[in-house]
Amino acid sequence: MSAHGGRGVVTGRFGPQWDGERSSRSTRGRNLRGLIALVAPYKVRAVAMLVALVVGTAAYLAPPLLAKAAIDTGIEKHDSTALVLIVIAFLAVAVIYWIMTYLQTYLVGWVGQRALADLRIRIFKHLQTLPIGFYESRPAGVLISRITNDVEALDSLVTDSVVTLFQAGLTLVGAVVVLLFLDLKLALLTFCVVPLVAAGSLWFRLASAGAFRRTRETIGSITAYLQETLSGIRVVRSFSQEPVHEAKFAEFNDDNRDANMVTVRLNANYFPAVEMLSGVALATIVLYGGYQAIDGNITAGTVVAFVLTLSYLFEPIQQLSQLYATYQSGMAALEKIFQLLDVEPDLTDKPNAIRMERIRGEVNFEGVSFAYRRHGRGGAVAPDSSSNGAAADTAGGKAGRFDRAGTLPTEPPEVLALESIDLHIPPGQTVALVGATGAGKSTFAKLAARFYDPTAGKVTIDGHDLRDVASETLRSQMGIVPQEAFLFSGTIAENIAFGKPGASQQEIEAAAKAVGADTFIGELEQNYATEVGERGAQLSAGQRQLIAFARALIADPRVLILDEATSNVDLHTEGRIEDGLRRLLAGRTAIVIAHRLSTIRQAGRIVVLEHGRIAEQGTHDELIAAEGRYYDLYRDWALHAVA
Amino acid sequence: MTIFYRLLGFLRPYRRGVIASATLAGFAMVMTVLLPALTGSAVEAIHLGAEHAKHHQTGLKAEDRHKLLVLAIAIVVAVLARWVLTYFRRMIAGRVSLGIEYDLRERLYTHLQRLELGFFDRQQTGQLMSRATVDLQAVRFFLGYGLVFIMQSLLTITLAGIAMLVTNPGLALVSLAPVPFVVLISYRYGRRARPAIQETQQRIAELTADAEENISGVRVVKSFAREPRQLERFSGSVSRVFDQAMVATRLEARYNPMIGFLPQLGLAAVLLIGGEAVLHSNLKLGEFTAFYLYLNMLVGPMRSLGVTLNLAQRATASGARIFQLLDRSPRLTEVPDAPELPAGSGHVQLVDVTLRYDNDREFAATADGTAAPNGATAGRPVLSNVSLDVPAGRTIALVGATGSGKTSLVSLISRLYDISGGQVLLDGADVRKLNLRSLRQAIAVVSDDPFLFSASVAENIAYGRPDATRDEVELAARRAQAHEFIERLPKGYDTGVGERGLSLSGGQRQRLAIARALLANPRVLILDDATSSVDASTEQSIKFALAEAMEGRTTFVIAHRLSTIALADEIAVLDHGTVIAHGSHHELLESSELYREIVEKGLPESVFMTKDTREREVSSL
Repeated sequence: MSAHGGRGVVTGRFGPQWDGERSSRSTRGRNLRGLIALVAPYKVRAVAMLVALVVGTAAYLAPPLLAKAAIDTGIEKHDSTALVLIVIAFLAVAVIYWIMTYLQTYLVGWVGQRALADLRIRIFKHLQTLPIGFYESRPAGVLISRITNDVEALDSLVTDSVVTLFQAGLTLVGAVVVLLFLDLKLALLTFCVVPLVAAGSLWFRLASAGAFRRTRETIGSITAYLQETLSGIRVVRSFSQEPVHEAKFAEFNDDNRDANMVTVRLNANYFPAVEMLSGVALATIVLYGGYQAIDGNITAGTVVAFVLTLSYLFEPIQQLSQLYATYQSGMAALEKIFQLLDVEPDLTDKPNAIRMERIRGEVNFEGVSFAYRRHGRGGAVAPDSSSNGAAADTAGGKAGRFDRAGTLPTEPPEVLALESIDLHIPPGQTVALVGATGAGKSTFAKLAARFYDPTAGKVTIDGHDLRDVASETLRSQMGIVPQEAFLFSGTIAENIAFGKPGASQQEIEAAAKAVGADTFIGELEQNYATEVGERGAQLSAGQRQLIAFARALIADPRVLILDEATSNVDLHTEGRIEDGLRRLLAGRTAIVIAHRLSTIRQAGRIVVLEHGRIAEQGTHDELIAAEGRYYDLYRDWALHAVA
Repeated sequence: MTIFYRLLGFLRPYRRGVIASATLAGFAMVMTVLLPALTGSAVEAIHLGAEHAKHHQTGLKAEDRHKLLVLAIAIVVAVLARWVLTYFRRMIAGRVSLGIEYDLRERLYTHLQRLELGFFDRQQTGQLMSRATVDLQAVRFFLGYGLVFIMQSLLTITLAGIAMLVTNPGLALVSLAPVPFVVLISYRYGRRARPAIQETQQRIAELTADAEENISGVRVVKSFAREPRQLERFSGSVSRVFDQAMVATRLEARYNPMIGFLPQLGLAAVLLIGGEAVLHSNLKLGEFTAFYLYLNMLVGPMRSLGVTLNLAQRATASGARIFQLLDRSPRLTEVPDAPELPAGSGHVQLVDVTLRYDNDREFAATADGTAAPNGATAGRPVLSNVSLDVPAGRTIALVGATGSGKTSLVSLISRLYDISGGQVLLDGADVRKLNLRSLRQAIAVVSDDPFLFSASVAENIAYGRPDATRDEVELAARRAQAHEFIERLPKGYDTGVGERGLSLSGGQRQRLAIARALLANPRVLILDDATSSVDASTEQSIKFALAEAMEGRTTFVIAHRLSTIALADEIAVLDHGTVIAHGSHHELLESSELYREIVEKGLPESVFMTKDTREREVSSL
């Protein structure tokens, strides 16, 4: 039970906020146009594909008519030549059908996949233009899913549904026309069962969509539970709770069986019934058509053609009813994708932005205030992930928080994360930011990096307001080292060179050496060619830190913004990280969110933040002597560390 | 082949259902096969009726009309019978198939619960998961549906074939000639398409990983202004997906239309040869029609036979992997009628203990996807000749570098692993001779990064004692300093946590684990100290909670920092699997150089200030 509860939290968490943006009728049309626009560059192929579809469908519908011709004009009339000609035509049609299905399969695949590839790249490019604030206001999973799951949902819409729509639609229309043309009365009589089949199919699809979702959910629960048991196997064994888990697993297994049984029942109700209806239609054709034929109103061949065409009537109806579900999910995906593409990047460069030459690194905060705002154009949302209910017991003071139901307050209180900050950092100085959680340290660093623009006041570098500067020229001279050293999959060398495209092996090694990463790299089997794994999983936290330092160093930034890691590493690495950090900071302007006493002590200046304001600043010794806020923090820490 | 028979063994409990559904399917197929014959006869009656009408033979014409009516009624009866038969066939077969799926899954899960911890240490979770999901899916799909499909297809082809052969052997042979080719080609297509599709999925997975990296690492990308290169890389991944999707598409384009074309040859043969035969009165028009209809009817079964033969092959391969798991017997078992742990207060003795882990990767799949043979090889000892006597109620700290054997040592008390030499005694009883449940319930572990289950806070606390009342749970939470923050959670004690629930901070999780241990009321408590840090105030409350938990119990502390070592009465220093020193803090400062070094180098200077783990997860700059 509880496990369901746990999952509920998850869906509740992401659901209403980011995924629940339901589509309206008006946007649907636009989405469809967007879809067509994706195919537009491949007009010629798309048209060829449609032609292949139409010709292919015609060839598909032909055999019953040829069979009729064979009976009526060949066999009944004892005309052997006609029969041979008809069989030749039959074979020709079969070959045409072969070629057309080949073309159609190929072209649909090509155009569809090409369009999806284009869309993926378009989303990716678009994401790249969006500011950091955008990323902080959304769970990464949601964005990833736009470019993966949603595009794949479109895949089935584009490659399956569109084809089915045309093929089944054309077949159905074609079959109706053929039958009407063969014999009006018999055709109308045959069509009597069609509404039944159509209504039944629609009912079945709607009912089974829910049932299938339920089976997917229950199988998902089983997989998740299994996964969890395996991850927690040590705890299970330690507490000797195997029977409890077995019982719970049996529950999930039961749920899954029940859910599947519903689909079995639905299938058993639907498919045999459709078969039966088709049989009834057959009997009708045989009887009524037979009487008509005996009376000479129609030919025996017509009756046969009717019998053969019957399946062309039933299959498309079944297929078309299936489309509904795919169409729904495909349109939902499209909707979400276009919503993302519609987000306009803020923090864009001004048209006449200043291109920065090599900067000296003088950073100035002039009367800077900042409030996280409700997300919208040009705004930012508090990055503290208040979607996480647990956040309720920390940092109560952040602005723009969602209420518990996960909705945005309409008029968010303007709580300032930073208030009237004035700070001048001369080139080359290291400033350590110190303060309690929620004091504004990260916000300060983010404004310096122009992840956000200040609400009031301005941030300048070398006297230029950050808002007037071409961001690319600025960012290439600023190094940002986040707390969790994020590495990309690839080799160590590639990761270091990330900071400087086209860096030579010597440069890479020099950078590694400078921060003291060379020792452990030298111990690895493949040295610099060692794969770091996804997110650097093959390396320890400390090793990742060192590589991140080397990466920052090779870029040789004038201004460095660094969030010091808090996770402890082993003794050995700890010392190396301290050394590496010292080398990295040397000779640059640096803003460090500091956690280690050693870093703080070495800083040229310590800035103590409290509730978004600068409480005090100075060197370690000065602040200790002042016996102020810093002194309190230091004393608390010293007590605990020794206790 | 033996695997195939073993797989069929899963059907045994459902013998009656299998027989019933096979019988029903058989009769339904007979009805289906009757339809072309009936329709053919009807066409013959129409043909004759029209002739008779033309020659004004009214009596005969009436007879034909009557015959037609009878045939139409026969058709209706046949389809009604088929309706009923198929309905019940589907219901019964569905129930059987779901039953098999249920059994398979339960057997697998129960078996996993029996295997010893060491087994899981050596397996990649992914390997086990894929056996329990992908392989199980293949097997259940085959047993549940594949067998039915194969039987139905074969039956249809056979019955229709017989009907055709009886009518006109020569024409039957010619028109059925494409059947084996269609089956063969469908089978080949299935074999070739599957790896192509799997590769596509693999590349999509890579693309996903790529996208994920770029989104999670967006700060790094942006701060180094590396967007163009990342775009280039991503475009590469996109192209790889496109290329592979086109490989699959080309296969489909090559095979599918061909599979559709071949039966047309048979139909053309019927039209030509059959038509000529009717012209020369060697075949009735009705028989000709029936032939055409039969062949039309066979197209579906021909295809699905090819497809399901693939299923069978896949199921056999998957079955091999599943049986490999099911056949792997647990290596850490209880002796029959093992006695309960005797009363006592937690006296732990390790006598000359040596421990080796098996270091084989039993289930690592070999290159061709078949399972590697079982076999265990013993690795180098993790602990050698360790002796330790911890009287009831004492607290002992274990100190040593990573990999020195601290965690292995404490795991032996609750017999998570079996030792290769020596003896482990709890209150005088050899742990290997005890009832496992009674032993493990006497020991609780609190680690710095505890595992919580996807369950409510209350259920997590009551994990070791699911029958505990809410009051007992609350009491444990209060004692563990967890009550306050729990009360502030959205649903209090009923808030869901764990893998898929709310993410709690490290400190909060740790306090929940302490509450969990407290409620279990163990004789022996094992603390695996923090390596990641929490802020000062949290650390303080954890310390209070720990003091509460340790009260009156034998406690083992795996210590990483000085402040934790201070909790202990005595300290053991481990190095490469042996206890190299043992005594009080002051004694060891005197006697052990390693200990002195560890203490001096400052078990890491703990984090200075104020960032708790939760914030770290969320806003790393």
